[in-house]
Amino acid sequence: MVRATLAKRRGDFRLDLALETAERTTLVVVGESGAGKTTLLRLLAGLEMPDSGRVEVNGRVYFDAAAGINLPAWEREVGLVSQDYALFPHLTVRENVAFGLRAQGAGRRAARARADEALERLRIADLADRHPGALSGGQQQRVALARALVPRPRLLLLDEPLAALDPGTRLMVRGEIRALLSRLECATIVVTHSPLDATVFGDAIAVIERGALTQVGPRDDLLRHPRSPYVATLLGINLFQGRVVRSDPGGIAHVQTADGLLAAADPGVDGDVFLLVHPQEITLYSERPAGSALNVFHGPVVELAPEPPAGNLVRVALGTSPPLVAEITSQSVASLGLREGVSVYASFKATGVRAYR
Amino acid sequence: MSLFVRVPPRELWARLVAPAALTALKLSVVTSAIATAAVMALGLPVAHLFATGRFRGKRALETLVELPMVLPPTVAGLGLLLAFGREGLVGRALDVFGVTLPFTTAAVVLAQAFVATPFFVSAATAGFREVDARYTDAAATLGAGPGYTFRRVLLPLALPSVLAGAATAWARALGEFGATIMFAGNLPGTTQTLPLAVYIGLQTDLQTAVALSVILLIFSFTLLFGLRLAHRAPRVRRVTSGPGDAR
Repeated sequence: MVRATLAKRRGDFRLDLALETAERTTLVVVGESGAGKTTLLRLLAGLEMPDSGRVEVNGRVYFDAAAGINLPAWEREVGLVSQDYALFPHLTVRENVAFGLRAQGAGRRAARARADEALERLRIADLADRHPGALSGGQQQRVALARALVPRPRLLLLDEPLAALDPGTRLMVRGEIRALLSRLECATIVVTHSPLDATVFGDAIAVIERGALTQVGPRDDLLRHPRSPYVATLLGINLFQGRVVRSDPGGIAHVQTADGLLAAADPGVDGDVFLLVHPQEITLYSERPAGSALNVFHGPVVELAPEPPAGNLVRVALGTSPPLVAEITSQSVASLGLREGVSVYASFKATGVRAYR
Repeated sequence: MSLFVRVPPRELWARLVAPAALTALKLSVVTSAIATAAVMALGLPVAHLFATGRFRGKRALETLVELPMVLPPTVAGLGLLLAFGREGLVGRALDVFGVTLPFTTAAVVLAQAFVATPFFVSAATAGFREVDARYTDAAATLGAGPGYTFRRVLLPLALPSVLAGAATAWARALGEFGATIMFAGNLPGTTQTLPLAVYIGLQTDLQTAVALSVILLIFSFTLLFGLRLAHRAPRVRRVTSGPGDAR
């Protein structure tokens, strides 16, 4: 088990959170840049000292402000792969990977054997004698992963594992990392700004906003029940908060939100509810749609963004009230003649809206 | 230039192999080499501390170490003499063990080391500061303590600056005059280094003085020129260790 409570103040910024995760589990901490993700990892690794709190990994206390315990980074069994990998430029790939074992006193030959084994496993054995400067981004990342894993850490920390890669490589590496993480014995914490990476890597996801965790839970739970507009935006889902004002006998509830009235499948509860509309539930029209849809909104296209990894989908952000994000095929984008500034009608069925408390 | 014009090459050679000149030359090379080694051994930890440590009075300490750079060497020599002389603070302590420093070859080394230290320490400190903290951080998370990180990461990455500092310190030690003559005197064979021999030669044998000066000139030029080449070396190496570099 990894248990950490951490507080750290730096100027105006304050990080204050508690988290818990287990072996063979990947916890993804997702949040915007400046939310404190890298700081969190540095505090866990022992590269920075928290003002207060406690860090415990597999029963070993790394930090305890109250007890005056603060193990230096090199005495913690924590592996860190930083955003830009920080491979030692003066050492070969093999020497880089063997570094941890050598530092901890392993013999040259034993360290070399273990390093070669790890390189083999990550299928980069042919790079062993190169220097990091001669490697591509994807190769550097594998070396960095091998280097962090060879000393057998209890806790592996990955800082934005895909940020330094070009989009093409990213797709491939995303799958590789996911496979690697699923085989690891240790606990893993990944921080990222990308909701997509969070959902791909994370068994559990924690959302960090301005130094605090605003929602923590299993991935599916988070996807199904986001509890703040920020989380919803992060995950690319439409989320509204409102109050049930009227329930129709037909199983339709009318919910008053800050931006207007929405019709939703009746949650069977009264009072304040969250409303969740998946972007794929939203259909776009250039003319006002005829028919029975209760939720029809009108507004300009604010942004068009192709949605990886499917590639064929396009996310359309709309300046409607309330603002909506729709996900439609690129064929539809073409046939509707969508581009930024074009006015469209957006509609979704009441049964496409999930309401929950 | 005027030094070169002064003496014809053959004459120059004859003066150089004269026993007195040879003795001074040998003494200079040996003492300055030892002084440089000592400066490196002591200066590396100090530079490391200056570059990475955070403690009270660091600025004052840095200034103190830099002081010999701006101090007139004669003042440095006088200071050393007062400290290590028989009546000096350190001298009295050493005297108990029957060790007397002033006017010995060891005093030459000490004087040279004293004036050369700041050149090495400031270059090495700058070199260590330039090493990106992410490398030392990475080493720490891989389980490397400060000592191992220093030897395997910090020192290799700062090596160009460290060597440049050592070369400058060596050049400074080789040219040392003021502190040496104050603290070690001018005894041929024991403390009369090349610069001192030049000074004495000026009064007795101008040709020899010129010959010795030419040596110092050539040596200093070679050292500085080599430094310039070495400074470009890292960049060159990075380029050549491209994809084709499979050793």
